[in-house]
Amino acid sequence: MSAILEVRDLRVSYSAGREILKGINFSVEADDFLAIIGPSGAGKSTLIRCVNRLVEPTGGEILFEGRDLLKLGESEIRAERRNIGMIFQEFNLIERLSVIDNVLTGRLGYTSTLRSIFRAYSKDDIRNAVRLLDRVGLVEHLDKRADQLSGGQRQRVGIARALIQNPKMLLVDEPTSSLDPKIAREVMALIREIAREFGVPVLCNIHDVDLALEFCTRVIGLQDGIKKFDGPPDKIDKRVLADIYAMEVL
Amino acid sequence: MQGDVSDLSRYDHHAARIAAWRNRSRRVRYVCYFLITALIVWSVEEIVVADTDWSRISWESMLRSAQQFMSVDLSIFRSLMGPALETALMATLGTLVGLVLAVPVAWLGAMNISPLGRTTYVIGRGLMTLSRSVHEVVWGLIFVAAVGLGALAGVLAMGIRSIGFISKTVAEAIEDVSPGPVEAMRAVGASRFQILLFGILPQVIPVFIGNVIFEWDVNIRRSTIMGLVGAGGLGLALHRQMASYNYGGVATVLLVILLLIIAGEILSYYARKAVI
Repeated sequence: MSAILEVRDLRVSYSAGREILKGINFSVEADDFLAIIGPSGAGKSTLIRCVNRLVEPTGGEILFEGRDLLKLGESEIRAERRNIGMIFQEFNLIERLSVIDNVLTGRLGYTSTLRSIFRAYSKDDIRNAVRLLDRVGLVEHLDKRADQLSGGQRQRVGIARALIQNPKMLLVDEPTSSLDPKIAREVMALIREIAREFGVPVLCNIHDVDLALEFCTRVIGLQDGIKKFDGPPDKIDKRVLADIYAMEVL
Repeated sequence: MQGDVSDLSRYDHHAARIAAWRNRSRRVRYVCYFLITALIVWSVEEIVVADTDWSRISWESMLRSAQQFMSVDLSIFRSLMGPALETALMATLGTLVGLVLAVPVAWLGAMNISPLGRTTYVIGRGLMTLSRSVHEVVWGLIFVAAVGLGALAGVLAMGIRSIGFISKTVAEAIEDVSPGPVEAMRAVGASRFQILLFGILPQVIPVFIGNVIFEWDVNIRRSTIMGLVGAGGLGLALHRQMASYNYGGVATVLLVILLLIIAGEILSYYARKAVI
């Protein structure tokens, strides 16, 4: 399997010279469901946002299908972002828009300015949005306003919005932190199913180690901007966790 | 429990410090009271006592004026309907001009989206302040000089005067939008304009509409005095009745103004409820 994403010596520092990521290396293969675990403040969220350059890295390389994203200009990176779907912790829906309009915003990267003013999406986009809402089990809610949905339902809208981009990879940022344990498990299962169905790899930040071990095919352990572990979930034991989380007992 | 409760005496020097600090702050407070009282006495003496023609004021004169105003002259009531309508339309058009012009000003004056950063931000904030710091009557005078007597001057004056409030509140709402939807729109590959349209606009629309309705309500008030500077409407009628010393007529105009403002208030109450 060839790597879809290859991250080399990735560095990020915010102002005042504090380094958030101190040279991270890893790659994502076509059928990976890769979890990034680690304590709060380790740089998980920053790492995932570097991949689609919501955060500007200060050094390194991010090769997406062999192309270095850090060398792209503003309009080129926008074009690449269309290929990378993202799912957020707080869902980040547009509350005052309907469910279907929220899903359709996933097509904005493919839609002209004029068409987006009038929300004149193509017929195929609209059909596709309905199909995806059906897939995530929300087709009967499609004309509701997003703020009328429950947390789990909102995250499903977020998943549909990422899928309608026709992504080649999914970035998932703490998808379950705003959800209760039962719904969290359902959402993780849905993401795994969908990733298989659409044949896309997933790069997922998650602080819940049990969920990471249950759903992911590979785990990266991050601590204070340094990669501490990279391997399959069955290689993770108490000692590895203690190392990642820098503590004595779990 | 920690420590020895009987040994509270070691905190005595703190207590002494607090007492000294209390004394000092009390003294400062008394000095302030004294200065404020002196200022009030001085202003009353200067601008009321010395500046008033006391010989003109008597119970009779006050009663007489009150009576003159009480005898409402209803004969002109019908002739005021035209100016009243003009006033309401002037306020509405003025608000429309204001809301259209407020959009670009808010865009410039919101730090997080201002197109060229600090430079355009300062321009936007400057325009807001300019619009608000000049009184509507002064704007009226300026536009009467520019486009001549009539309602157009009033419409423009109120339009310009309305920019400040609408654009300022909207710019502040833009600065306060939750960053999540904006981030999501960036992540799907939206352009800057699309981010504005989907990530920001839906979040500030309620503030925008609510404040436009509020400004319309205020503009009805403003437009009733626009006529005083020749910019049409009920103000002109008021001016005419005053000039001909018809106090009953003045009272009638004031009554119509009151009715119009109440109508505006009721309408804007329901409009705001419908929208938000």
